[in-house]
Amino acid sequence: MNSQTFNKLTPYMFMAPAVIIMAIALLYPLGYMVYGSFRDWDPSQSISETEFVGFKNYITLFFDPAFRESLSVTLIFAFTVVIAEMVIGVGLALLLDRNIRGMSVLRTLFILPMMIAPVVVGLMWRYMYHPTVGTFNRTLKSWGFEGVDWLGQHALLSVIIADIWQWTPFIFILALAALQSLPRSALEAARIDGATGWQQIIYIKLPLMMPVLIVTALLRLIDAFKVLEVILVMTEGGPGLSTEIVALRISRTATEFRELGTAAAMSNYLLILLLFFTLAMFAFTRLQEARAARLARQVQEEG
Amino acid sequence: MEHDRQNPAFYALLVALIFMAVGPIFLMFVNSFKLDVDIIGGTSGLLFLPTIQNYETALCDILWYEPDHIDFCSLKFGGAFINSLIIALISTFLTLVIGCMAAYALVRFRFMGRDTASLTTLMVRMVPPAVLLVPVFGLWNNEFCLDRDGLIGGWIRDTFGGRGDVCLAGTHSGIILVYVAMNLPFVIWILQSFIVQVPRSLEEAARVDGAGPFQVFFRVVLPLIKPGLAAAAIFTFRIAWNEYLLASALSDRNTKTVPILIVNNMSEFNVEWGVIMATGMLLAIPPIIFTLFASRQIITGMTAGAVKG
Amino acid sequence: MLKKLKSSAVSAVSALTLATAALAGPYDEYAGETLIVNFPAHPHFDAVMKILPEFTKQTGIEVEVDQLPYLKMRERQTLELAQDEGEYDLIAYVVFSKADYVFADQLENLAKYFMNPKLADPTYDAGDLIDGYVYNIGFAGGDKGYLEGKTGSLFGIPYGSETSILGYRKDIFDKHGLEVPETYDEMLEIACKIPELEPGMGGLSSRAASGHHASHAFLLHLAPLGGRVFDADWNPIVNNEAGVKAAEALKQIVDCGPEGSASFGFGEALGSFLNGDTAMFLDTTVVAGQINDPSKSQVVGKVGWAMHPMGVRRGSQTGGFGIGIPSNAENKEAAFLLMQWLTSKEGDKLVAMAGGNPSRFSTHADADVNEKFPHMATFGEALKHADPDWRPIIPVWGKINADLGTTLSKVLTEDLDIQVALDGVAERTRAVMDEAGYYTWR
Repeated sequence: MNSQTFNKLTPYMFMAPAVIIMAIALLYPLGYMVYGSFRDWDPSQSISETEFVGFKNYITLFFDPAFRESLSVTLIFAFTVVIAEMVIGVGLALLLDRNIRGMSVLRTLFILPMMIAPVVVGLMWRYMYHPTVGTFNRTLKSWGFEGVDWLGQHALLSVIIADIWQWTPFIFILALAALQSLPRSALEAARIDGATGWQQIIYIKLPLMMPVLIVTALLRLIDAFKVLEVILVMTEGGPGLSTEIVALRISRTATEFRELGTAAAMSNYLLILLLFFTLAMFAFTRLQEARAARLARQVQEEG
Repeated sequence: MEHDRQNPAFYALLVALIFMAVGPIFLMFVNSFKLDVDIIGGTSGLLFLPTIQNYETALCDILWYEPDHIDFCSLKFGGAFINSLIIALISTFLTLVIGCMAAYALVRFRFMGRDTASLTTLMVRMVPPAVLLVPVFGLWNNEFCLDRDGLIGGWIRDTFGGRGDVCLAGTHSGIILVYVAMNLPFVIWILQSFIVQVPRSLEEAARVDGAGPFQVFFRVVLPLIKPGLAAAAIFTFRIAWNEYLLASALSDRNTKTVPILIVNNMSEFNVEWGVIMATGMLLAIPPIIFTLFASRQIITGMTAGAVKG
Repeated sequence: MLKKLKSSAVSAVSALTLATAALAGPYDEYAGETLIVNFPAHPHFDAVMKILPEFTKQTGIEVEVDQLPYLKMRERQTLELAQDEGEYDLIAYVVFSKADYVFADQLENLAKYFMNPKLADPTYDAGDLIDGYVYNIGFAGGDKGYLEGKTGSLFGIPYGSETSILGYRKDIFDKHGLEVPETYDEMLEIACKIPELEPGMGGLSSRAASGHHASHAFLLHLAPLGGRVFDADWNPIVNNEAGVKAAEALKQIVDCGPEGSASFGFGEALGSFLNGDTAMFLDTTVVAGQINDPSKSQVVGKVGWAMHPMGVRRGSQTGGFGIGIPSNAENKEAAFLLMQWLTSKEGDKLVAMAGGNPSRFSTHADADVNEKFPHMATFGEALKHADPDWRPIIPVWGKINADLGTTLSKVLTEDLDIQVALDGVAERTRAVMDEAGYYTWR
């Protein structure tokens, strides 16, 4: 074997294991799912025994008020969570971007919530939200207020709060890293020109951080659609369908209602939605990178 | 490092933030040492008699003595913990090795199909576990099976017992396979940004000395991207250790992992808060340890993951 | 060659055991076998876990239990029972699984075991099993497919018979001179009076959380108030007058209940009663053990029991579990022996003493049991009024149940109009039934 062919084959040898595993356990299942979504499929059947029903599952879902509601719950949840986390996380980063003793401790402890199992996060919050035993209502009552029906009337809000608790640190840490890698010269120049703190933030820091922030937001958005365990443990989707996000509905349709075909079609809808966001992420990154580069050049030229 | 003097309000904010981040976890820790009556009855705060009874109940299957307060050991926490360890460790190891090789190929070589591979990797990163639930359930239970009368299937049944065809579902390997596949895109993605930073000249030098591509990779590249590997390892471990949905669809009574056990234990008939908190605490300990000892790597990993679009 | 040798060895061994079996007890042939059984995580089956060692001691048959929460248990069984060879030798199933399993031919018909003189225990006394539960849980193929009837036969045996019963706080009732409610009107009146008399205390805690919980709570009131889900021709009638009344009762109970009632699952509802946050509790008999357990309950000794109040008729729920042998089981005969032992007079009493729910008349009347659990006599009385038709047990019920549950939860939390809500349920139910073929003979 001469070294020329050796080099040509090398990358394939390096890629092969990953390609094989992903093909077997990721791409093939996805294809299988698309195939299954056109069939009337019960969990006790193997797929060859199932009946082809065309687009029936998709059409039923499209007109199913329960699915629509859970779709809107998902969208509300995902966008609220991302917007709130971005505002709080970036705000904190701007506020705390200074040399304070204890910053590294904060950063370390701040990561804890997102490292802990979602199942555990769910059970901690379910306990804290408990109408009588829970920490929140006990505290409220000891201060003389009325208890709040957290997981009843305000279930979606409660779930959103728990997610904000868990994931704001993610944004905070990324925003902080972005802030600290900003070109010092630009900030210095602005300060010499007499820009106030607010002006620095609005005209210099935020625009320069923008590429990172947009990618972060989109990453969070895609992840927000994956949330399932926290909600499952806290509310099981209730009351009503008020916290039943699509991921949870898929799992219920598959296991509780035993309609794998419908669940597959539902998964496909979710996948298409996420595909859209992923593509948006690519487009935004390219666009913002170009723009930020231009902006940075401008700032430098002016300074 | 020199610290600037700051307004005390910032310190107050820091303390408040730390309190908010750690408070719930601390609460769970405290409650795991309380009896149910104390938790429900509202002996709030820290004034209570701590007990390890909850932990004894949780760990009853691996304790060397029989605690007095339980009649029979219903929670098989020890077994589930071992399953979780096996699954998380093996899948993390496999993901890292396979993922790093692929990342290396994507960064260092130009080859046919490279763009397709790279794009696919990016795309499948967004696939939520819930989407995989249905197909994986179907495939692992019905299609990825060995006939029990076949050569290998028959051998497995003779050696390990069990009934019916030998399927991936219900085995450790079945769960590990999904986890590796699920984590690969992320690991490949994150490691690429570390491999790019390895100076090509080092590799060339090694190659001139007569090293083959695999030697170059394992001897030169791998040691240089250790921080990236550590970050990737922690993130992979975290997902494999914490995942519930797919594991619950694929595991049987012998391969249950801890998250499944916790969710199962929140059964509607009897919410035993104390024991649940104890199991939750036990599940949370490994990630907490990682965080405390490797927060720098985690932060590096997170930043690397997000900055590279 | 090797195979032949092996099989002849096996037959030699079995011939040997057969010879000894003729001399020794009925269990000897199966001693040393290990049965794998699937039970729910449920107080009754927790009690069963305590008595299983006794079975092993008596018979030499080992039992390995896979205990799962009951919804999980059903998922698992759906999968296992569909295989050619299943893992489980004996399963416990929830009443409404009966329809699915029998329809898919996944449970053994028990006739051949009770006919087998080597297996059937002559002292078993099947007449002592509570009739309603045998028909409700074990019987299939009778009237409407799931009730007692001439065309039916036995596929399982009730084990862990539950019915609904009213628990009330004796101390609170005495303090305010309240009468224990006999009828629905009285119960609802007291339920809403309690929060006024005892500020901070709820009237009656009920399950109400979205899904199965809300649906269960509604059905609990539907039967006594004279309603049904279907009429005799499978037309959905949940939205008739009785249905609306039952939903109103549920809403009133939740509104006058303890804080956060609308999101209560069974665990929370019970928890609030155990914690003394509510004066009454109307649900399954299975809770008695926990209410008397000082490590869980703050109301030990303060609770009295009464029958499920009457609406236009008595009609407490029939619930609980049955045990049956899967068609794809490996050790069916040994599984039958376990099943027979568990439900025998001896087993039933043992499990009752361990805190389970007995399924025999004689156990409810037993002196030892009553001495340990004074409420047992009331429970036995309540079982006689249990209504086997309080909910339909048909394969499509799971879907209708889920719809009913989420819709009612909306009534409770989002103030959806009751009539509109139930009309919606009825309409969707009709579509489901039509698709499942219930209107084919029209």
